[in-house]
Amino acid sequence: MGIGENGKTLIELVEERERIFKETGHAYGLKDMPLLDSDPVKLMKFQSRLIAGCVSARETGRLIAASPAALLMGELLFMVATPAGDVICSSHGLVGHIQCVPFFIKAFADLNYEENPGINEGDLFSCNDGLYGPPHASDCYLGLPIFHDGELIAWAIAMNHIAEAGAVVAGNLPAFSASTFTDGFVYPPTKSGENFQQHKWWEMYWHRRTRLGRINVLDDKMRAAGAIKVHAIVHEAIEEFGIDYFKQGIKEILERERRQLMNLIKTQAVPGKVNSLRFHCVRYKDQIGKLFPNSDRDWLFHFPLDMTITPDGVMHPDYEGLNTEADFHGNIHPSGAIAIAALGQWPMVAHSSTTNTSLSYAMDYNIPKGSMGNPSNPFAAVSMGVGVVGYQCVPFQQAFSTFFFAKGFYEECFLRGATPYGYGLEGIFEDGERWAGGNFSCIGADSTGGQPYKDGSPCNGALTNPESDHGEVELFEFLEPTQLNIGRKLVPNYCGHGKFRGGLGMGGVHLITKPGQHLAISIFTSVSSECGATGTGDCGGYPALGTVTYFYHGTNMYELLDKGVPYPSDFIEAKKMYDDGILTAESVECFPGDISNIACKDGDLYIWGCHANSGWGDPLERFYDLLEEDVKYGWLTKDVVQNVYGVVVDEDGKVNEKESEAQRKKIKETRKEKSVDTKDWWKAERKKMLDKDIHELAAEMYRDCMTYEKFSKQLKGVWQLPDDYNL
Amino acid sequence: MGKEVARKEKIKDLIDGTLPWNEVKDIIRLKPKDDDRFEKVIEILQEKVSWDDKVLLRISDKLYIVAKGKGERVVKCECGQEFGDYRVNWKYNARIRVRKTKEEIAEVVTVEDGIPNTDFMEMREFYCPGCYVQLGVEVVPHGYPPIFEILPDLDTLYRDWLGKPLEDESPDWFEDRTTKLTEEWGKE
Repeated sequence: MGIGENGKTLIELVEERERIFKETGHAYGLKDMPLLDSDPVKLMKFQSRLIAGCVSARETGRLIAASPAALLMGELLFMVATPAGDVICSSHGLVGHIQCVPFFIKAFADLNYEENPGINEGDLFSCNDGLYGPPHASDCYLGLPIFHDGELIAWAIAMNHIAEAGAVVAGNLPAFSASTFTDGFVYPPTKSGENFQQHKWWEMYWHRRTRLGRINVLDDKMRAAGAIKVHAIVHEAIEEFGIDYFKQGIKEILERERRQLMNLIKTQAVPGKVNSLRFHCVRYKDQIGKLFPNSDRDWLFHFPLDMTITPDGVMHPDYEGLNTEADFHGNIHPSGAIAIAALGQWPMVAHSSTTNTSLSYAMDYNIPKGSMGNPSNPFAAVSMGVGVVGYQCVPFQQAFSTFFFAKGFYEECFLRGATPYGYGLEGIFEDGERWAGGNFSCIGADSTGGQPYKDGSPCNGALTNPESDHGEVELFEFLEPTQLNIGRKLVPNYCGHGKFRGGLGMGGVHLITKPGQHLAISIFTSVSSECGATGTGDCGGYPALGTVTYFYHGTNMYELLDKGVPYPSDFIEAKKMYDDGILTAESVECFPGDISNIACKDGDLYIWGCHANSGWGDPLERFYDLLEEDVKYGWLTKDVVQNVYGVVVDEDGKVNEKESEAQRKKIKETRKEKSVDTKDWWKAERKKMLDKDIHELAAEMYRDCMTYEKFSKQLKGVWQLPDDYNL
Repeated sequence: MGKEVARKEKIKDLIDGTLPWNEVKDIIRLKPKDDDRFEKVIEILQEKVSWDDKVLLRISDKLYIVAKGKGERVVKCECGQEFGDYRVNWKYNARIRVRKTKEEIAEVVTVEDGIPNTDFMEMREFYCPGCYVQLGVEVVPHGYPPIFEILPDLDTLYRDWLGKPLEDESPDWFEDRTTKLTEEWGKE
């Protein structure tokens, strides 16, 4: 006798969910929706009760949390799920994780937890193991089964992104890891509590296996409290609507949302195929050394997204050509890959009153087994696959925008080459106190790209969370007392140019203050400036730019402060001050991408730049009045306006139209002179490919990706290479 | 209400990039969307271009797929320049400038730290051979095939989704023919 409806086991419920959809094409086989048809207002009221419960859980739960990402930035999520794992509704927050929940619940079924350790009223199940649903160790999930008269009728799910994961690199974004054994405190599905309370031993794990035990315990209590709140709201809804209505209603909500989604695709998109892609470079060579010989190399990653919308409106994202899994932080299991990709799908297609798993019924993925998006090694490191493979969400936004543009729904084109950036800290203060921190704030406030009708905006969008929030510097300084923020600003000219330019990137400067005995800073970025953010710009605009990190070690910054010299507020100002001899340093390090454990001392400067987003359309088409504004507010300098946009702005800030016309004509002449017919270029490039005249890092990428038949055929077909060609 | 918010004049301004943001937001909020949008857009685009070929789809700011008589569907620039069969990536019939050095890329990537690593990456700009408008930009590793950004399934769109089948329907319209062109080039 199982815990589900009509005595079904959880294994049967999960199997039935997948089978019935395949057989009928409807979620839970619902061809008819009697509750919706007979009284749609009542169903909406029912749904609103559940959504309100999730939102209420979030707002009360976050007051218990201690990590700044949860407390201030809202990086948490509460959900109601069906017994088989479909999310019906959620709070605001980290909505991508909704897509992981079916995998999370399926794990309990696959592991037959119903039999041992048993799934009972009041049990709390925790998990952050990438193999079982959650994307990586920083994303901690909690599931609370909801019973009615002894029958499992739903799950309350809670999750948040914690500040410190206990990995080999401190913080919540460890950009080095060789295997699951260096990923941090990774726990598979675990019955961590009973009778609506976490066990004491569970609390001890947080204290002993992570560097921020005190904060992580409070976050754990927050997840439990929020899930219990959701549990209570579900029972109130059953009281109000009746158990039969509840059981049927949650299925109808999902099917209704699925149909709305399919309708949206057929309305706003065109059927066909769109290719969108990006590249990323990760360098471990000479950093990892003898300890991790299998990781002691560099990688150039190829992230293809070949998306087809078929006549029935189903979307088929194909990742074939993705690099092979390896001993690095960038792997991710399919649940995580799909969850984070959904972050680029929600803004484009999910416009109903709540987020749910209807997307999983509209998407049919191909993520090849053995690739870094579907590792065959169960012990593969997945510490930051969310930010490596996961950031396929960016090509998804580009792909949807291309489909919508073709159909004429220009207002729905929403482009961005997001450039997430974060850092982790680990230190020992003068008095011997050990501490750590993880900073997520830049990820909470990205910029957006240029759209077909307006410029991108700075600091106003978070891929991870529809409610973007930069957090509060003051609180971060309290939790990270070594990081004195002396500068933060939008950086002029730091964007992808276009008829509508990308949102300007942001720069920040930290003065390292009294770190005591030891301080190490580790950087994570999804977008190394070695490759840029996306493989293509949009309609003639330039792609988004990558991130940048500087460390100025042993500076004279304290002396400059005493003298009242203006502080550098971004990486460009700092560099100029250094070049001019005003700012001095014993050494300067610059990193275009991830880097782990850079030792810092009192008076060092840690400087970052990120979020320079993509442009749309030919810059030579940009309107004069927009360029006048750019110059007026200092977003673009006059030389850039003249050289890139072909517009001359006089001393009064007005465009000289006659000179501008001539300048634009001159740039077009230059284009004519410097360009060749693609056919001629193709012939020269083909020869290079035949001669194997290619940089080793790129050659290694091609060798790897050519193990996939599709990519191999494409590469050989385009360059007309022999069948036995290899690099 | 939807018809008013998204009337033809407004959509025309949206296409031109001159519709105020507040009014764009009104169109974003439309639920349901105006059901004659595609027809309106095609009408506006047809009026906008200086040539007579029938616009089937707009695939980029300046590029259209047009019907040329019976049996030909080609990519065409707003200026009138044609790029051949839409099943072949139009980039192969464009002009290309490849920026290979830091100095060349610095002309358009105006913050030095944002310049890609030119040891293995390059920037490609694709121009229309007729008017030299910039149609596309790629930042890719050396040797990467030009990216075929969109291959629409036009017959399904017109027949099944719009209920207005095209006269020259054929099963092979939804087929990437780029390598057929490179095959020809390879023989030269």
